[in-house]
Amino acid sequence: MVILEVRDVVKSFGGLRALQEVTLTVKKGEIRAVIGPNGAGKSTLFNVMTGLLSPDSGSVRFDGEQITGMPPHRIIRKGIGRSFQITNIFPRMSVFENVQVALFSHHGKSRNPLSMARKFKEIGEETLGILDRVGLGEKYDASASVLSHGDQKRLEIAISLASRPKLLMLDEPTAGMSRFESRETVALLQKISREQGLTLVFTEHDMDIVFGISEKITVLQQGAVIADGTPAEIKANPEVRKAYLGEEIAE
Amino acid sequence: MDLSFLTVQVLSALRQAAFLFLISSGLTLIFGVLNILNFAHGALYMLGAYFMYWVTLQIVGPAGFLLALVAAPLGVAVIAAVIELGLLRRIYIQEEIYQLLLTYALVLIIDDLAKIVFGPEFKSISKPEILSGSVTLFDGTVPVYTLLVVVLAPAVAALLWYLLYRTKTGKVVRATSSDREMADALGINMSALFTLVFAFGAVLAGLGGALAGPARTVFPGVGTEVIIESFVVVVIGGLGNLWGALIGSILIGSLETIGIIVFPEFEMSLIYLLMVAVLVVRPWGLFGRPLKVKALSEKNLAMEAQEISPVHFAVHPAVRWAPLLLLLLVPLFAGRFYQYLLTQIFVASLMAIAFNLLLGMTGLLSFGQAAFFGVGAYTAGLLLTKTGLGTLSALALSPVVAAAAAGVIGFFCVRLSGVHFAMLTLAFGQLIFTVVYKWYGFTGGDNGIQGIPVNPIPLGGLGDIDIGSTQSMYYFVLAVVALSVELLRRIRSSPFGATLKSIRENGQRAAYLGLNVKLYQWTAFVVAGAFTGLAGGLYALMEKSISPEIIHWTKSAEPVLMSIIGGIYTFVGPAVGAVVYITLNSYLVAWTEKWALVLGLVLLTLVLLLPGGVVGFVNEKARQTLGKLRCIRKWSFSKSATS
Ligand SMILES: Nc1ncnc2c1ncn2[C@@H]1O[C@H](COP(=O)(O)OP(=O)(O)OP(=O)(O)O)[C@@H](O)[C@H]1O
Ligand SMILES: [Mg+2]
Repeated sequence: MVILEVRDVVKSFGGLRALQEVTLTVKKGEIRAVIGPNGAGKSTLFNVMTGLLSPDSGSVRFDGEQITGMPPHRIIRKGIGRSFQITNIFPRMSVFENVQVALFSHHGKSRNPLSMARKFKEIGEETLGILDRVGLGEKYDASASVLSHGDQKRLEIAISLASRPKLLMLDEPTAGMSRFESRETVALLQKISREQGLTLVFTEHDMDIVFGISEKITVLQQGAVIADGTPAEIKANPEVRKAYLGEEIAE
Repeated sequence: MDLSFLTVQVLSALRQAAFLFLISSGLTLIFGVLNILNFAHGALYMLGAYFMYWVTLQIVGPAGFLLALVAAPLGVAVIAAVIELGLLRRIYIQEEIYQLLLTYALVLIIDDLAKIVFGPEFKSISKPEILSGSVTLFDGTVPVYTLLVVVLAPAVAALLWYLLYRTKTGKVVRATSSDREMADALGINMSALFTLVFAFGAVLAGLGGALAGPARTVFPGVGTEVIIESFVVVVIGGLGNLWGALIGSILIGSLETIGIIVFPEFEMSLIYLLMVAVLVVRPWGLFGRPLKVKALSEKNLAMEAQEISPVHFAVHPAVRWAPLLLLLLVPLFAGRFYQYLLTQIFVASLMAIAFNLLLGMTGLLSFGQAAFFGVGAYTAGLLLTKTGLGTLSALALSPVVAAAAAGVIGFFCVRLSGVHFAMLTLAFGQLIFTVVYKWYGFTGGDNGIQGIPVNPIPLGGLGDIDIGSTQSMYYFVLAVVALSVELLRRIRSSPFGATLKSIRENGQRAAYLGLNVKLYQWTAFVVAGAFTGLAGGLYALMEKSISPEIIHWTKSAEPVLMSIIGGIYTFVGPAVGAVVYITLNSYLVAWTEKWALVLGLVLLTLVLLLPGGVVGFVNEKARQTLGKLRCIRKWSFSKSATS
């Protein structure tokens, strides 16, 4: 079953064609990598898919529904979670509060003005559960701004998970992490995807990770899709080898 | 309309535009490069005028006048350079609000220093003979001095253009103003550039003052009028845009002239109406572009530790109830003066805490809260004097009407952010002020409303409560404020409060939690407006007379100052700020005329040494100590249950 369908999306910044008729279909439960050299348009594609930018033309469908041009907050409500390339958290709130506030939103409690936030015990438990899962359980009361870069990335994943998305989009989830940290994070993502049937779309520059966990790979170059297929197909694709990967996967 | 009339009016509009341009070009230049909206620019203008006055007194005659015209702006530049090097420089990394506050503190200090040095009275600057006559132009009589100003300002504009577009430094300035990071990457010496631009902007302000001085008059505080007009100009034109400042000056200069002829009562309202209209249609002004949102890494996160998070630490209820108990006992041992002072503090605290729901919690700097205070006060005042409505009903309607006003105004304001948000709230506030000030038929105009009848409050079958005396008013206000503050405290620790905080921290991420950020900001704006309106209603009851001054923008600055004194990232901070502010005010005013100077110095010290405010500082210390002891950590749910 198709969960995400991007069709002929075009996006230009002034004269720059950042996305040129990009088409992408993701099946439910799939782990999909979007790769390409710097400036290929990966983040732009994510921004279009999650409503931060609206495309010049083309459409995005999620779960059979048109979401093109919807504002982010409505798209998120449909069941999409997202993390950003540059870490995007709530810096002067504790780790706990970062996830708790996301859960309030998910459970429709954000508008409650008169009950104490800490009286929501179930949400508190759930918050700690999510933090434990991403390995931040011990640091729940630290201010998010003092976390290490890797921990902040993980916190952002935790925030995105809080809304129990059907589709999670991660823009370079391991950027700036140590080797150990990225391996842990990748294992976590794999586990969550498997356990919850979560669909994962991510960008990544580390080819070991890309080929290690993705089931499908889309290759972008200068805003256009130049290849789309299984890791094996991508490895074998001469155009991809020539244009982007070169020796890196020649082995 | 004949030609002579037209000539006179056109020249008068141009003269006004010329003054406005001189001041606002410097303001916008400084904003473009330093990203600081310089409140003290009006004070620099005033200094220019005073220096002009002083030099022309020393050397009488045309030579002295000419010399003064050169020396005054340079003198102002020296002072500005000292300010930049000694003060501004230290707070570039801090949040916008502290930079704004520092320049505001400078206004207070410079104004009072001017009063000390030059005296409180109006000064006029004499012009040399050749400049004081008038000539006939198209049958109209035009002062020579007007011609001089109208010719000189375009010359300055041309010079500015040359400096910015034809010199190397000018190109660097423009590059920095359009893309600071790029300029940083190019290795431009930012600190030297900042000093240069700030001093140069001050030259323009000083020249404006020096030229305007002889045409208008000089007095301490003249800058407060000038600065708001210049804000209007640069915001209409687009912050940081020189051509915007030029067009804005001509627009406002013309509108003022036309307004005086066609619509003399509401001339000033027209200006704010134009500002509102422009910002509603073009949020960044006529020539402006959206400001780059500062990356989070650029913001100063040093204050992250000041908020004792309600999730992790719970204040013991006794800490909250003890002060209330104490306040209930005060009238037993304190006289009427103290009761009255405290009642004032209660009202101010409510206003400040409500305001801080916006600033500290949601991250919105509203500079028009006095409007809602005023709407609340006038609602109660008008209802009580003109209808037979009971005291409680009139008071209850204050927050309702204020909330309605906030709903309409907030609808337009939350579409903007940062300094543009502040400026639009300021414009709306001033619009309301100018209307109330002149609408004699309804609001009583500048006379206000006197002798507001405060009838006893009926208690069903239990008789009446009379709140006419100082003491009963004390208890009444205390009760209403305590209830409101408790409500506000609940809002702060609620999921809604947590959500507002997340919007303050990172609006984009909040949207990615599925939150309609603008709707939440709007709601916060309305809630703050309602409580501010209630404070206004209480004010009307306790003072029994109101005047438009309570809506003036300087009144809007008060909750800002109180919140910052106490600490914007704390709940009680604004109330503590209100105590400090009101106490300082009432004691210093009795003791010295220089209360603004003291307040300015207090603010300056706070910004430089205790940017988290008094309570923020205490909290941080407490947290450090308690963090070590780990004794009051209080989990509502056990951690072991989950793992
Ligand atoms: N808001 C914007 N305005 C103008 N140009 C933009 C904007 N966002 C992206 N671009 C440009 O579009 C192109 C694609 O950028 P994008 O960030 O999508 O690339 P990317 O594949 O994510 O690169 P990276 O691997 O470096 O993250 C780049 O040339 C970039 O400069
Ligand atoms: Mg990217």
